[in-house]
Amino acid sequence: MKDTRRRGARLRLAVAGVATIAVLGPLVWLWQDSLMPAAYSVMDMGYADYGGGPSPSPPGHGTGSGHGPHLTTGAQGHSGHTATARSVTSLTAERGRTADVAVTLVARAQRFRLPTGRSVDGYTLNGTSPGPAIRATVGQLVEVRLVNESVPGGITLHWHGVDVPNAEDGVAGVTQDAVGAGRSHTYRFVVDQAGTFWYHSHQVSHEQVRRGLLGALVVAPARRPPAGTVDVVALLHLYDAARTVNGREGDVRVAARPGDRVRVRVINTENGETPAWVGGAPFRLVAVDGTDVNEPTPVRDTAVMVTAGGRADIEVTMPEDGSPVRVHIGGPGGLVLGSRSYDAPAAPRPAKKLDLLSYGAPKPIGFAVERADRRFAYDIGRRPGFLDGVPGVWWTVNGHMFPDVPMFVVAERDVVRMRVSNHSGESHPMHLHGHHAVVLSRNGVRATGSPWWMDSLEVGNGESYDVAFVADNPGVWMDHCHNLPHATEGLVAHLMYEGVSTPFTVGGPAANEPE
Amino acid sequence: MKIVYKVLAYLVAVEVAVQAAVMVYGDAGLGKWVAQGGVLDKTVMESEASPFPEVIGLIAHGINGMMVIPVIALLLLISSFFARVPGAVKAAGLVLLLVAVQVTLGLFGHDIPALGALHGLNALLLFSTALYAARRDRSVGVPAQAEPRLGTTG
Repeated sequence: MKDTRRRGARLRLAVAGVATIAVLGPLVWLWQDSLMPAAYSVMDMGYADYGGGPSPSPPGHGTGSGHGPHLTTGAQGHSGHTATARSVTSLTAERGRTADVAVTLVARAQRFRLPTGRSVDGYTLNGTSPGPAIRATVGQLVEVRLVNESVPGGITLHWHGVDVPNAEDGVAGVTQDAVGAGRSHTYRFVVDQAGTFWYHSHQVSHEQVRRGLLGALVVAPARRPPAGTVDVVALLHLYDAARTVNGREGDVRVAARPGDRVRVRVINTENGETPAWVGGAPFRLVAVDGTDVNEPTPVRDTAVMVTAGGRADIEVTMPEDGSPVRVHIGGPGGLVLGSRSYDAPAAPRPAKKLDLLSYGAPKPIGFAVERADRRFAYDIGRRPGFLDGVPGVWWTVNGHMFPDVPMFVVAERDVVRMRVSNHSGESHPMHLHGHHAVVLSRNGVRATGSPWWMDSLEVGNGESYDVAFVADNPGVWMDHCHNLPHATEGLVAHLMYEGVSTPFTVGGPAANEPE
Repeated sequence: MKIVYKVLAYLVAVEVAVQAAVMVYGDAGLGKWVAQGGVLDKTVMESEASPFPEVIGLIAHGINGMMVIPVIALLLLISSFFARVPGAVKAAGLVLLLVAVQVTLGLFGHDIPALGALHGLNALLLFSTALYAARRDRSVGVPAQAEPRLGTTG
């Protein structure tokens, strides 16, 4: 009797133990499988996706939907002939040429004050945040010496929207090592496109950008603007949740005379998209992400949605009767143009949004999208799992969780099409480094307006965009979500050119952490 | 192990109550902040800073709901294997299932608000199920004790 009972108890215990292992075993396996090594090359991440194009050599592991290990052994990578590969460090601007614009930016960790007196514990460049606006003329060579005086963990500068040579892209662990405290790094690139851009750190970027390592970069066209033109930057940033334009809470006042044409360069440095609208006059959206819109028409009572990381140049012609104009950026505040004596009244946010798919007039984009050499899918989802050992509900790319994400491989001069779709439950501002892509369609509806060239694209939940670009800037380029915390949550993939490799690693002695 | 099982089951119920409390705390703080002139848009929502102090409630809701409660529910299931409470495994399994449903509804409720409404209803279901799981031994307590025991059980 006693024995039977004891045996029964043992059996029960064994069954419970087996059940526990059955529940915990797979979880523990998934957990340990997700742990990242102390240092790894992004080239060894995930699996190669050739987009239907030729693969340069028999790949080390499966293409397309391959599972395989996350990280292949160092020498293998996706690049095939690593022996003949060009290093990203060789992809620079003309070395002998002297700089036309030379700037030194000194980064510090410090407590600083916004003009309204609010004290912010963050990072500055030359003592301010936002850092100084860098201005250049198209065709000039810009040289920026970045000195890290005291920012712990190292810093970099990424030139958001400028298609710089890969070595100058400023991504820690991909194109350079993070610049540690007491060190410096020089960036050199030719600005070959007039427009509105910005710069920011790409080391621990979700934290360093939020705390102030950023600034505006404006490239003026070669032709001087006609008299009666006012050009103003409106850089949106939140410091400790305080909304600022050019570092200032409340309104920014801009002098303008009746009849003046005011170009407001709205830069959204935040993680979420923001609406901009104009009260008191019609406006034209003259440029998006640094590319002019073709034949923009005047609109009113319409909001322009500015993607996180994106830029929108809004042009207002000042009313002849001398009344002021208010440009709202996200909320009641923004810019007041041309007011001498009284405030421009606030205008409620218009319900209507400007649809860039049909705004402006079409014109040739300069390459044949029908004969694409590569077709990629960048499909964003979400599922539970472990990210470097941390349980959560994480983003996926083409069904795979970081670091099992695709490496999009292209060859130089390829015409590339990509379908970016999102069914993750939240919207994502997707940013491709080093290239401008043109939007072909959204949810199957073809673009009919001005060519919509962009580097930052808000892809809403349930939306799907077809975009195209020419692979004309060799290197290893990040293609990630610019809601920067989302990048830390694994929404990062890369675009890689055949025959290019990077000697840098994420992690390692420089503690590179691009996200 | 029975007591571990019981405590974990009650803990799930307490956690659901905490979730309801911190959510409304955060929501009320948001309402007050907006009433005082704060403007909420996507840039503020996605910034990692705290525009108003009660935002801690919303952050706690997310961490508690996506990490802490699933871990407790998982431990509850494991403890149920050893608890020797009739129907414990089934009850704990149901709790874990409802937790999974709850997280899913919570996340997809961001885009489809009607799922957010179901998230609220499912919370009540989860709360009740957790209490049901915790009190499983009571209904069978009397006959079980009627049988003489020999001290090897615990």
